[in-house]
Amino acid sequence: MDRQEIEDLIARVALQDRAAFEQLYDRVSAKLFGVCLRVLNSRAAAEDAMQDTFVKIWNNADRYNSNGLSPMTWLITIARNTAIDRLRARKKGHQNLDSPGFELVAPGPTPEQSAVNASEAAKLAGCLETLEGDRGQAIRGAYLDGETYADLAVRFNVPLNTMRTWLRRGLIALRECMSL
Amino acid sequence: MSDVNDTAPDDEMLAAEMVLGLASEQDTAAARQRMASDAAFSTKVVFWYERMTALTDDIDPVKPPARVKKKLFAQVFARQKVSILQRVWLWQGVAMASLLFAGYLGVQLLKVTTHPDIPPPVLAAQLDSDSSPLRVLAVLEPVKNEIALRRVAGEPVPNRSFELWAILPDQAPVSLGVLPDSETTRVAIPPSWRDQTAQMTLAISDEPIGGSPTGAPTGDVLAIGAMTNL
Repeated sequence: MDRQEIEDLIARVALQDRAAFEQLYDRVSAKLFGVCLRVLNSRAAAEDAMQDTFVKIWNNADRYNSNGLSPMTWLITIARNTAIDRLRARKKGHQNLDSPGFELVAPGPTPEQSAVNASEAAKLAGCLETLEGDRGQAIRGAYLDGETYADLAVRFNVPLNTMRTWLRRGLIALRECMSL
Repeated sequence: MSDVNDTAPDDEMLAAEMVLGLASEQDTAAARQRMASDAAFSTKVVFWYERMTALTDDIDPVKPPARVKKKLFAQVFARQKVSILQRVWLWQGVAMASLLFAGYLGVQLLKVTTHPDIPPPVLAAQLDSDSSPLRVLAVLEPVKNEIALRRVAGEPVPNRSFELWAILPDQAPVSLGVLPDSETTRVAIPPSWRDQTAQMTLAISDEPIGGSPTGAPTGDVLAIGAMTNL
């Protein structure tokens, strides 16, 4: 994906440019649909989630620049969070995830500064492998399947507090591994 | 990232858990608040968003069916069409002061035009929108008090009517009638509006045959444009 091209399209969508919205859709919808399908595992649900995703993109494109994320991270995160909200909506007491950039954020890094290059991103997979026990699997489960601490505790058959401590240690180790 | 070692672990965990969707409702609400004012914290959140998104790297793109795009565009642009009218009203509200000034100028011009050598101002509008191919040019003929319309793009839709509306600042649209299928047509300007044509916006909506049953636009706004002085 050409980062600059996607960024330009988002900037034009922020100005309510319909042609740019259509180009952005043609450019990224297959990736976002793939992400929705992976999370929801149902074509009908993934179609709805993706439609929602693009409505959010249209309505919030003017806030993209202030959130400090690279363009594909922003788009994929909206799709992932929207899909996980749909997955979790079946459960009682679910609170929707917030997508980044839908509210004002303190000036932090610019998208250029925070951009992760390919080799840095590839580190994540390697780092998850190095984590002790099934912690890598638990982190994947939270991100890609929307599993909560309670879900993970059941899956790994440990008490909730143990699960929480265990996964946090995994995150600290992951942070250190990725920053090397 | 050189701040790894002096990073408070609690903040780091809060950022990561928020990104993963593991944080409690309370923690998430607190984190959102902090992001608005605490750049160091929002940098951590960005770090985790960027890194975790790599988990989607090996998800293959899947082309979505064409109907999704169709449904999406109908949803997004149906809503926008409504807001075009709202925006026109808002804009005209904001521009009220300048419109009053324009009105004053209009009166001055009217006085001037009583002088036979000076031609009256020409008002015209181009009506269009991003959501429809319809494009219509409208020219005001002050002597006859008519608006001459020419359809330059778009076709009449079978079993539907195009209805022309005039909108003045802060007022609901008033129908100027259903347009015939011909390329050119003329409509009369209501006498009470004749001194306000400079502030007029014209719009064409999609309506059932014979026009809106309610007296207000019921269908999509297909084309819209404000009168400008040429």
